[in-house]
This record gives sequence, structure tokens and C-alpha cells, in this order.
Amino acid sequence: MITGQRMRLGLYALAVLALTGCERCQDDLPCDTPDCAPAATPYTLDIPPFFPPMDIPEDNPLTVEGIELGRMLFWEKELSADGSMSCGSCHLPSAGFSDPNPYSTGITGAQGIRNAMAIINIGWSPTFFWDGRAATLEEQILEPVSHPDEMALPWSEAVERLQNSEDYAARFAVAFGDETITPERTTQAIAQFLRTMVSADSKFDRWRRGETFLSDAEFAGYEIFLREGGDPETTPGGEFGGDCFHCHGEAGLQFSDYLFRNNGLDSTFAADPGHAAVTGNPLDSGKFKTPTLRNIALTGPYMHDGRFPTLEEVIEHYNSGGVPSTTVDPFMKYTTGGLQLSSVQQAQLIAFLHTLTDTSFTSNPAFQDPH
Amino acid sequence: MTALRLPLAFSLFILVLTGCDWFRTDTPVEPLPGEVRVNFELEWQGESYALEQVVTDHNGYPIRLDNLQLYVAPIGFRQEGEWVETVDVSLVDFSIHAQKASASIAAGSYDAVRFGMGLPPEINTDIDPASYPNSHPLSVIGSAGMFWTWASGYIFVKYEGKFALEQGTQLLEPVSYHCGTDPSYRTVTLELPSALMVEPEGEYNVTLTLDAAKALEGTNDSIDLAVDPVTHNAQGDSLGGRMMNLLVDAWKIRLE
Repeated sequence: MITGQRMRLGLYALAVLALTGCERCQDDLPCDTPDCAPAATPYTLDIPPFFPPMDIPEDNPLTVEGIELGRMLFWEKELSADGSMSCGSCHLPSAGFSDPNPYSTGITGAQGIRNAMAIINIGWSPTFFWDGRAATLEEQILEPVSHPDEMALPWSEAVERLQNSEDYAARFAVAFGDETITPERTTQAIAQFLRTMVSADSKFDRWRRGETFLSDAEFAGYEIFLREGGDPETTPGGEFGGDCFHCHGEAGLQFSDYLFRNNGLDSTFAADPGHAAVTGNPLDSGKFKTPTLRNIALTGPYMHDGRFPTLEEVIEHYNSGGVPSTTVDPFMKYTTGGLQLSSVQQAQLIAFLHTLTDTSFTSNPAFQDPH
Repeated sequence: MTALRLPLAFSLFILVLTGCDWFRTDTPVEPLPGEVRVNFELEWQGESYALEQVVTDHNGYPIRLDNLQLYVAPIGFRQEGEWVETVDVSLVDFSIHAQKASASIAAGSYDAVRFGMGLPPEINTDIDPASYPNSHPLSVIGSAGMFWTWASGYIFVKYEGKFALEQGTQLLEPVSYHCGTDPSYRTVTLELPSALMVEPEGEYNVTLTLDAAKALEGTNDSIDLAVDPVTHNAQGDSLGGRMMNLLVDAWKIRLE
């Protein structure tokens, strides 16, 4: 028998326990009320060996459903005004998720002024676009849909189209907790998808993991990649190397430091001021984001304006030293005759660059068009 | 009243069980430290300087520094002859306004500050930058542009810009000093003009000013940019070490 006093005591103790805030139990409660949509499934991204951690925004955590929705949206042609283009139209898997044309052509036939950047390990990039005008991946994704020279669809209409789709309404509901569709949620989903696009299984990666060997030419190219450039007679510290590692270093196996540089392509910048258009600083003229070298053999044409169709031409540019200007990077050897690599060394360097090709990435079924 | 006594006692018991720390006084109370903000400022030949300004070096060459970054690790304060090391590692980037590091030090009187210019060997090489969180100054992202390779480690000081051999001409000649490698690590010791009296929870400012012109000219050495405009001394050439020696004497300190 429980006496009345003991019962009161028990009830009181329960009340005190509740008031003192045992929150653990709340997480375990089943979510079965009408207002409580089924939660999206958290997704844990595998960080490859030697890669740094990826900073994922707290307000846009990866989920299985969010990533799949992002994939659907990335390849969704209804996000262009005439229903002919998706994000994937200018970021082709076969081209390392870049555009094989120097400039991408929008739905009106208008062309941009820069080559579409390759989407490779973009979740580690701290800045976006060649000129760095977007600070987050979500912000970057916002632009092409409504840009008149690209997909040319106002976001209000894009949202309306998605709202008219029962499938998308259901997918947004699962990914974000309710059926509300907004430009922000759309870009968040695409950003989730892009963050999963990790390339880490090139021949170079496998060599770093001790799973394969580089050929003699590839290894010689790697050594050139890591050596200081220039003739030691004219360039202090020069080692007849490629000087590539300064900007495309192997720290975190990113092959880019993501900084903005003028690599000596032009001496004037009226046609495209680059980073200066973002910062307003004339001394940023002609500076563009350093791209990753991963899948570089697939992502031509090269440079921000796609001016070099081949890797051979790229190497020749650095070999000649580029052109001087007030903002050219001091790494460029424009005053000392360039890198002066022999034709054999150039071929070795290119052989090494080919070891960064990862076809398991470009052909990964998880990244292809699901429509 | 009696009926309330038991529930009241029981609720107090539950409150204690659910984590009331008020009465735990078994550990001795450490005196609270003070906060010292170490500010970094830049000068050129004794005048306040901001990157991208064109100035003249000791040889009369017009020069413009575009990038001046250095690692500082660690920062220490001297108290009664003993050094108290604080800030582990900071990357000072003079392209960013108001560079500073915050040090938490015990209350007391301090009469000197010292700091390592560069990185001590134990954190310079053979540590994967990817092992740090991205917010750390030695991480892949945090050290962008300041990392050579795993074997050669980090660039301690990056001193970059353009100069011209004649006044009135465009600045097109590169200046590119990347100083690093373990033998280039230097310690700078600066006596404080008066004692820094740190009170518990007090806040203080110490300003370290680097005269960037002194990186090219000092009492015992000078660098002629016409002859030596560039060094990346990962391979251990002497120029990087010479600039590091010059930089040791390029600092001054003041208390705010």
C-alpha cells in the first residue's frame, strides 16, 4: 500500500525533477504529432586521408534527403527560363564538372566572360567564383539561376515551378521539415549536394596511400612540381622547377591555396578587372582565384577566360614568365626568363598533372543526372 | 507545517542530486588572470605605414609592399626573471587592419616581452596542416599561402611587393622574400619601457611595431634589392636568414 503522504512525496519529486530540467528524455520522444514532420536523416561525410576537416554551415547540415534533393535541383532544367538548362549544363561530368567551352552560353545565346569553374572538392573552398564575389557556396548558387546571361529565371518563378511539383514539395518537406520552398532552401539543398562531390581517388591519391606507384615520368614531374622555379644563376633559390606548389600546394591535398593572384596573363585589365571588381582596390586588378589542379587534364580550357586550350600551352605560359604589370604575382618569373623548363621536363610535369585525374569522381553515379 | 517538512527536505535532496555545485569548495581558488592584448603595427623608417603605399628604401628605390605576414610563436612575458609563455601561435597579416593576439597571464609585474618569429621546430615540420581545425593559423585554410611542404614546413615571414630601379618609373620589379626553415627561427626580446602591472581580470594593451624598412637595412647588414630581390629559402640559402636577422632588430614595444 502506498500511503497518501508517500504518493504526494513521489509526485512532488517528479515535479521537482521535471522543473530541474532533464532534457535528455525530450530527444528520445517519438515524433508522431501532425506538426512534426519526419526528420531528415543526418549524413556523415567521409573525409579522405590527408584532407582537412570540411566546415559545414550550422544552418545547413548535410542530410541524406537534402543531398538527394540538391542533386535533383542541380540537374533540374526547369530552373532555367525555357526549361533547357540546368546547373549541370555548364558543369559537365566528363569535363570534371566544368565547361569544355571557354565561355558558357546561356539560354538566350549570351555568353559570359569567364570559363565555368570546375566543381571539385568545392566544400573546402573558402571563396567562390573566379573573382571571389560570393562568400559562401549557398550564395554562389543563388546567382546563375536568375542571371540573364545564364539560366535567366527569376527566383520567384523558380520557386513557383518547384511548388507546382508534388514530388519537390514532398522532398523539401522531408529535407527541411515542411513544404515551404524558398530560394534559400533551394540553394541550401544544392550546396549540400555539391559538398559531397569529393574527389580523392586519383592515381596520385592512391600513390599517397601507398596503393600504387607513379611512373618515372610522373614522379619526375612531381619533383618538378615541388621545386622552386628558375635558373639559379638569375633567380635566387631557383632549381629549374615548376614552382607550382606555391599556389597549388599539396597541403590538405587541395592543390590550391584558394588565394587570388595575377599570374601574368595580361598587362592591362580593362576587359576584366578580376578580384578588383569585388574589393574596389586597383591593386587587385587581374587577380583571380587559384583553381585546384585536381582533374586538371579534364577541365580545359584553362585560365579564367579559357584562353589556353591545352595543358601544354599553360605550361608554356609559365615557362615564358608571363607579362609584367603592377599587380603581377612575384612568383611569376617575368624578369628572369621564366621557368626555363626543357621540353622533357614540361612533358614530365604534364604526366604528373595527369595523375590528378579521378574518373571514379567524374563517373560517380551519385553525381549524375537523376532525371 | 509538518506535512510540508518532508516534501521540502526531499526536494532539497533532489536539487542537490541534480547538480548543485554551489557548495563545492574543496579546490583552491586560483587568482584570476589578466588579459593582455598584443597589438601589431607597421612602420616604414619610423613613420606609420600601410601596405600598398609607395615608399623609398635605403638605396633610394621606390618600393611598395603588398603582402607582409609572419608567424609569431609563442609570446612570453618576463616576471622576476622567469618567462611565462602564452600565445601558442599567431599569424600576423598586415594586410588586415588591427592585428592582435590576446594573452591571458597571471596577475603580477612583468618587465619584458619576447616572441618567436616563425615557428619552433616542433610545430614547423612533419605535422600535417590538415590535422588542425580550419580556424587554426597552421591549418590548410588558415595557413593559405604560408605553407611550403611537409618537409620544409611553413613560411615564417612573407615580405612581398614591387620596386623600381629608378624613381618615377612603374614598379614592376618583384620583391619576394619567403623566409623559413628551422634554422631561420628567431626570438625577439623587448624590454618594456615600464613595468606591466597585471591585476586580476584587468585588461592591458601592448603594441609591437615592426619597421618594415629595417628588414632591408640594419646596423650590421643590408639587402640591395637590385641584387637580391627574391629569396624562397626553403632550400636554406642565406638571404632568408639574413632578413630574419635584420627583422630581429626591427621591432619596438610600447605600453598603451
